[in-house]
Amino acid sequence: MPDNENRPVKVEVKNLTKRFGDLLVLDDMSFNIRKGEFVCVVGPTGCGKSTFLNCLTRIHMPSAGDIYIDGVPANPRKHNISFVFQEPSALPWQTVEQNISYGLKIKKVPQDEINRRVNQILDLMGLQESRKAYPGELSVSAEQRIIIGRSFAMQPDLLLMDEPYGQMDVKMRFYLEDEVIRLWKELGSTVIFITHNIEEAVYLAEKVLILTNKPAKIKEEVYIDLPRPRDITSPEFIHYRNYITDKIKWW
Amino acid sequence: MDSMSSKQKTIRTVLYWGLPVLAVVLIIIGWISFSSSNPDLMPTPLDVWERFIRTFTRPVAKTTLIGHAWASLRRVLIALFIAWAFGIGFGILIGWNRAARAFFGSIFEVIRPIPPIAWIPIVIMWFGIGEFPKVLLVFIGTFVPLVINTSAGIEMVDKINIHVGRIFGGNDKQILKEIVIPTALPSIFAGIRTSVSSGWTTVLAAEMMGAQQGLGSLVTRGWQGSDLSLVLVAVITIAIIGALLAVILQKLEKVVCPWNNK
Repeated sequence: MPDNENRPVKVEVKNLTKRFGDLLVLDDMSFNIRKGEFVCVVGPTGCGKSTFLNCLTRIHMPSAGDIYIDGVPANPRKHNISFVFQEPSALPWQTVEQNISYGLKIKKVPQDEINRRVNQILDLMGLQESRKAYPGELSVSAEQRIIIGRSFAMQPDLLLMDEPYGQMDVKMRFYLEDEVIRLWKELGSTVIFITHNIEEAVYLAEKVLILTNKPAKIKEEVYIDLPRPRDITSPEFIHYRNYITDKIKWW
Repeated sequence: MDSMSSKQKTIRTVLYWGLPVLAVVLIIIGWISFSSSNPDLMPTPLDVWERFIRTFTRPVAKTTLIGHAWASLRRVLIALFIAWAFGIGFGILIGWNRAARAFFGSIFEVIRPIPPIAWIPIVIMWFGIGEFPKVLLVFIGTFVPLVINTSAGIEMVDKINIHVGRIFGGNDKQILKEIVIPTALPSIFAGIRTSVSSGWTTVLAAEMMGAQQGLGSLVTRGWQGSDLSLVLVAVITIAIIGALLAVILQKLEKVVCPWNNK
């Protein structure tokens, strides 16, 4: 809560509704995300989290309502939206550095700026040594780091992450969670991070959005007011975790 | 790997180098023993070697063995270049564009299973036995595997890769060029490999039906003149050139698809 109120609104979601035929998936969702905010979205499995994300990236168009970035309806051509998928999505025919610069080239960023950003990301993600390697030659966690790096390199208006660590073991997850926080702090990106792991949400987020069961609505916004790095064993942390777990229960 | 002692490694190296050599040696031994007991059915390796030398000293149809090999190779290469251009282009079209697939797909499914040599009578009736019908036959034989492999590769592109392109704001052209075609490149290359071997077999069949020059014509000449040594010279040359083409393609694939080194 503290300094959040001073930051300008970056993303405004207004009455977002999505229907597939008669099936109502997203029901009149409205919320704001401030510039540079780290927001986690949690909700029961199958509650429409993916649909929600796909509306944000415009893979699906909303049935009603809209998403505004800096006051303008979201548009991948105009805005810088990055996405980290749950599945490995590095382009296998490109080297690590080509993967990281991929989006920048599409956006026609000048070459020296591309080089600068790619180098910065390679440093931050510890990928300098494997910059010429292909994703297939690296470990799964390195591949996920490429994708995260590729998204941050865009310096996106909005960075969407869809359970990016869903497939990973605990150790790797902890490591990459810290990496993401480091990048976010360094680059000041606005992040929406979807997860079903409540501990992960409390560990990462400034603000947690709790979704209801389908059709998804915003049940509550919870600000996590804990210093970083967060201690997952501290009583405050556990308090937040239990609170959100209680809210999410639909059984 | 680290646990393997250097002795084991040497044994392995010797084994993997030695076994192919052993296989060739066994074939030659079998050849020698078979030909010495059945001289009418099979010339000895020495006979074949002498016949090989004679293709240079007394050229068949005024052309040395190299001339014949080049005649075959030239036909294949001309047909291949045309087939690569059209086959890959056509494969991309029917793999990417649903309307094109709906329109051409059924025609193609009908033509696809016809073996290239089945076209020989029609092509000879229409175009005679000159250069063009031979190149045309090779083209037919190489076009089909190219289209199949290319379109299959394009259709198999992972949705997620296309989403990556879309989210970063790529338009259709960029997505096709930068996402879809690179993903399909290994299968396109598989099509190229198949097309080369298929082209090489088709040209020989076409030449056996009537040609002044070419390795296929040497096979026919040797066969009709009961000159089995000449047949074997031609067959071995065919095999060596086929193997060389395969090796060249393998190297080329490493250059074109470096990420695909399994």
